[in-house]
Amino acid sequence: MGKKATAQAPLTPAVLHILLALSMEERHGYGIMKQVEADSEGKVKMGPGTLYGSMGRMMEAGLIRESGKRADPEMAGPRRIYYELTGAGRAALAAELDRYRGVVAVAEGRTAYGH
Amino acid sequence: MATDATGRRYRGWYAMLLRLYPQPFHDRFGEGMAQTFDDMCREHEHARRGLFGLVLSTFFETSMEIVRENANHMTELRKTLLRVALGALAFWMVPLVASQFVDDWHWGVGGFVFAYVLFFATGLAYALIARKMGAWAYKAGVGLALATGFVLGWGNMVHMSESDNPAYLVYFCVLAVGGAGAWVAQLKAPGMARALFAMAAMLAVIEVIAVALSLTSGEPSGLVRRIVVGHFVFVALFTASVCCSGMPAAESM
Repeated sequence: MGKKATAQAPLTPAVLHILLALSMEERHGYGIMKQVEADSEGKVKMGPGTLYGSMGRMMEAGLIRESGKRADPEMAGPRRIYYELTGAGRAALAAELDRYRGVVAVAEGRTAYGH
Repeated sequence: MATDATGRRYRGWYAMLLRLYPQPFHDRFGEGMAQTFDDMCREHEHARRGLFGLVLSTFFETSMEIVRENANHMTELRKTLLRVALGALAFWMVPLVASQFVDDWHWGVGGFVFAYVLFFATGLAYALIARKMGAWAYKAGVGLALATGFVLGWGNMVHMSESDNPAYLVYFCVLAVGGAGAWVAQLKAPGMARALFAMAAMLAVIEVIAVALSLTSGEPSGLVRRIVVGHFVFVALFTASVCCSGMPAAESM
């Protein structure tokens, strides 16, 4: 992903899953990993390297940002760094979902005509 | 199931592995990644599953990403060096061309080489620092300090080209102190503020000595006034840059 993410550019699967995981609420790294796994019904499992590498590029592109450091009420241990979507991140996610809808509509149209 | 000692050992090894990331990446995400690995281990331990498989796959995945991040970092660094070198060349052309048209311009080859080094070092320092931290106050403070240091170095280079007075070398010691301080501080805000303060303090001491020497040798009052004002401006600019570059450090405390 380049430094200037455009709303039209297709997103990588990792970036799309991270944006989806953060679309409802802000989460820390492990929370994002668990949400990605839940959203994909266990099909996508992200390691810390892939997760933070993608997040680094997303932060440079202005799609997500740190929202603070605090304790997770559901988990023991020290305070964790939370991340949230930016306006550009929400726009990129909406554009990507629109793109997927368009692809699905084309595919369904062809299937209906037996192509 | 892994014992506590085994789990601690794996976490320690993972923390060591994370140090292989490029420094800016490690500074930014190292703590979060170690915490995430800790959370993954804890979940496996609660589920009474062995850690070995998790550790093996996570270490492999993280190692692959370390290679990728280092490759990206080197590419970025090469691009930055090229941009700074070309930018310095563009600025360097100004004195080079101007010297062809100004009769009193007496720089030798050494002067032009020094001018290029000054342009390149200033640009590279700012590019590296700008990558290091996004806080505008820090960037502005360091930018002001670099611009002040550049003017100080440039002015003294011109004075030295016009007279052989070795006393001007003392001002390059101020720049050397700043450079050494930035190296020790690894371009981080608290250390940079201390390095800039050291430069301001050193210039203030030089000012006192220069004024004392001028007064004892019976220099005209106009020259003494110029020395006071000239040094004061530089001390004030370095002090202002200390205030700006120290702000992020104070905010994070």
